[in-house]
Amino acid sequence: MRALDEKETKMVFEKLFKFTGPNLKHLLERPAVEGPDPQAGRYCLRLHKNRVYYASEALVRRATAVARPRLAGVGTPIGKFTHGGAFHLTVHALDLLAAHARRRVWLKPDTERSFLFGNSVPKSSLARITENTKANDGVVVMSMADVPLGFGIAARSAQDCRKADTNAVVVLHQSDAGEYLRREEELM
Amino acid sequence: MGKSSSKKKKDKVILPPQLPPEVDDDDVVVSDEDVEFFRGNEGHARALATLDRKSIDSYVTRVAHHDEDEVERLYEERERRRKAVEALRPKNHDDDDFEVDRVDALPVKTLQGELVYNNAKKARFDDSSNNVESKSEDKVGNSKQTIQKGERKEKSKSKKGDGKLQNVQAQTEASNGKLQSKVLEEVKEELSAEELFEKKKAQLAEIGMSMLEDPESHIRSLNDMLNICNDKDQKVVKLSLMSLLAVFRDIIPSYRIRQLTEKELTVEVSKDVKKMRYYEYTLLRSYKAYLQKLISLEKQPNFSALAVRCMCTLLDTAPHFNFRESILASVARNLSSPDDAVRKMCCETIRSLFVDEGKHRGEATVEAVRLIADHVKLNDCQLHPDSIEVFLSLRFDDDLGKDDTEEEKGKPKKNKRRQNQEVPKQLPVSDNKKAKQELISKAREEVDAELRSVSFTLDPKERRRIQKEALSALFETYFRILKHSMSISNSRGKVINVSPDGSHPLLAPCLEGLGKFSHLIDLDFMGELVACLKKLSGYTDHHSGTVHDNTLSVSERLQCCIVAFKVWRSNLEALNVDLQDFFVQLFNLILEYRPDRDRGEVLADALKTLLWEGKQQDMIRAAAFIKRLATFALSFGSAEAMAALITLKHLLQKNSKCRNMLENDSGGGSLSCLVAKYDPEAKDPYLSGALASVLWELSLLQKHYDSSVSSMASNILSMANLNPTQNPVPISNASPLEAYRDLSMERKLSKPANKLLPLNCRKKRRGKEFVALSPAALEGSDCVAGGDELKEKLKNHFAVLRGISENERLRAELNHTLSSINLYKEYKKQKKSRKSKAVKKKVSRA
Repeated sequence: MRALDEKETKMVFEKLFKFTGPNLKHLLERPAVEGPDPQAGRYCLRLHKNRVYYASEALVRRATAVARPRLAGVGTPIGKFTHGGAFHLTVHALDLLAAHARRRVWLKPDTERSFLFGNSVPKSSLARITENTKANDGVVVMSMADVPLGFGIAARSAQDCRKADTNAVVVLHQSDAGEYLRREEELM
Repeated sequence: MGKSSSKKKKDKVILPPQLPPEVDDDDVVVSDEDVEFFRGNEGHARALATLDRKSIDSYVTRVAHHDEDEVERLYEERERRRKAVEALRPKNHDDDDFEVDRVDALPVKTLQGELVYNNAKKARFDDSSNNVESKSEDKVGNSKQTIQKGERKEKSKSKKGDGKLQNVQAQTEASNGKLQSKVLEEVKEELSAEELFEKKKAQLAEIGMSMLEDPESHIRSLNDMLNICNDKDQKVVKLSLMSLLAVFRDIIPSYRIRQLTEKELTVEVSKDVKKMRYYEYTLLRSYKAYLQKLISLEKQPNFSALAVRCMCTLLDTAPHFNFRESILASVARNLSSPDDAVRKMCCETIRSLFVDEGKHRGEATVEAVRLIADHVKLNDCQLHPDSIEVFLSLRFDDDLGKDDTEEEKGKPKKNKRRQNQEVPKQLPVSDNKKAKQELISKAREEVDAELRSVSFTLDPKERRRIQKEALSALFETYFRILKHSMSISNSRGKVINVSPDGSHPLLAPCLEGLGKFSHLIDLDFMGELVACLKKLSGYTDHHSGTVHDNTLSVSERLQCCIVAFKVWRSNLEALNVDLQDFFVQLFNLILEYRPDRDRGEVLADALKTLLWEGKQQDMIRAAAFIKRLATFALSFGSAEAMAALITLKHLLQKNSKCRNMLENDSGGGSLSCLVAKYDPEAKDPYLSGALASVLWELSLLQKHYDSSVSSMASNILSMANLNPTQNPVPISNASPLEAYRDLSMERKLSKPANKLLPLNCRKKRRGKEFVALSPAALEGSDCVAGGDELKEKLKNHFAVLRGISENERLRAELNHTLSSINLYKEYKKQKKSRKSKAVKKKVSRA
């Protein structure tokens, strides 16, 4: 386990910023609620086996006592680096993103299942979209009961959605909660 | 001379024997006259002496011979005397004329010249008066002349001695006449102004009546009325303007006069048509001159109100007529006049113009809206708000947007039909048939054109086109105001304005208008409009601690949020958009609200529009608002608290999961959404962690002094015991805005109760007066007793007084010490409470 270097940190922050925007500051500076320390510390990012973990300082300090081969993970994994060096967010980050997202999309109840199977969001299943959403913005997909289902990239802006055809893709799928079942081995 | 003397002698001879007392009177009279005559003229005295002897002898002889004749003569003389007495009385009445006649009778030329002067004065006086009066006076003059002639004959017989007296009187009369002439001249000058005024009044009335009776033949007299407008007297000018207004109002035809083309002028026309053309030409020319006069007078302070009133009336009665543009321009300019009366007049005129489009078929509406837009542009959006509030009276068809789409859909079908029809026609048609069809089509087109020109009603297409133009000008104005306020707020930076509404006077009516016409806004402008409103409301993407540079007040920013939601709701069918940023802004503005500085109604309206009427609510966001509104209810008066509680109850009913906040379990489990602690000053509702908190404020509000607030709070708390599907019994179905207004009215009603308190103070003062009477009574009673008893009683009295004063001092000291002890006790209690609070905070932190 080691801290991220400058290049890696930049890539991770760019990805997170796409979804959280200015809330990224709050994401990193909020007081930690995990760990046995009496004083609440802060959260930090750590790299271990190509995966980036979001963990409180208390956990990190205690994790250093474990040998590297035996350490499975620390805190919440939010993404991983590919062999090519690119960084991808994984479904584990959904809770963090949902709490700090600036752009949200709500799906109609009868079409949630289609998205959970890994399909993109057409306009016909779109119930609500946050105003001033622009193309290529990061978007968290929610159900009408305000339960986060996944996240993706907006293919069209909120205004263009009004003029689009009913079958036009509105949100490009990136990750959804169904992956916990469909990709169980990889996620572990 | 002789006759008169003879008559007197007869009287002397006859009277002594019958009437002895009369003799004395006669003698006295005669003696005086005779004495004067003798002194003046000695020669005449001698002649009289000789004549007296002869007459005495003749009369003596007659008396002795004819007794019967004497008796008859006596009766006749008596009758003559009576007649003479009667004749004297009318002479007294005619003294004035008599005096004038004396002057005339004089042979001296100079005196005659003066007489001529007197006659001339009378003539002038006659001329100055009205015609009727002059006629009557002329008759009187004639009668006077006849009297004068008769009296002159009598005077010729009179004695020469009278002439001297007449000369003296004439001199005095001459001096009096000169003074009178001066007075008359002054009176004439004063009367001349009033007479001129009344003359012109009558003249205007005559011209007006003749115009109304037969306008075509009297059209030229309009020029006379216009000339009277150039008079120096202000009253005359005002009267003429008002009378011209009345005439034009009745004369102006119901159609618009157009200029004649050259062809029409060359063609020979009948007399009636020529007459009509001349009439219309003259009417237009005078109307134009009248309007130019009004526009020039409008700049003068004395006439501005009157000129504007005339123009408003003309615009109201004849909006279809020529020169409408110039009237509209001046009326639009005065919409922002500093004079309240003028501004209100113009606003009412333009509102009626917008409402009653039947007269002008909507064309004047477009022109008025454009003129107001240009006026706003010229003055750089610094006008009186009334100039924009006028737009709220505009009316547009609801189908304005839908018909276009239908037409567009219909067009391709028509094209297809035409193509299908054209193909078969071309093959069999021959040249002759083509020519016939062309002629037929031309004839039909001409007939249609004539029908359109004749028909009074507008085509739906034209009506739609006119309304679109008005709508575009309207929104152009609104957007210019929005951009202007944005640019000003950016440029001024952190400058603090003493009056928040001073820099943007037009923003409030602009937002109101946008809210009203939001359903007519094109979808293409929606994004820009929402972006502008977002900037105006003070929203920024960066949640930094810096203070906003926006110069708008909290009320204005809330209005921006309200307008954005109205625009959004009116296009609900076309949009699936969530205005998250405006919710965030409202979330922050609730903390910035101050009752005295900002308007509570606007906040209640915002709560109603964004939360109470909103159909789509996010659970986390709703929880954040619930918690903040509960805190808000604790901090402000009963009106604001009631509005907040009604909104809070509505949110809890819609989001059953949020009812966990009513239970005394902190945390909230998975619903807390990674935010384990509640942050009361959070700027993002999603990060406030409201679901991790408890609505402890409601338990305090249950004990609120206002019964409505306490009952509402207890009703909300009862929701904790209900199932999610059940709802509590609704106490009131009022919206937050209505509740706010009701309670604010109750405040006003409670004010007069405070006025009763000073009455109680007055009663107390009256009680003191009674105490003051007692020592006087005591003193009075003491006076009755003797000296020794007095001494004893006085000693006792003063001893008692000393005791009373000492008791008062002691009681004052005692009260002072008691109050200090109470303060110390309260101080201790406060310390204890502070310590207990600190302990509670520590526990909550842990």
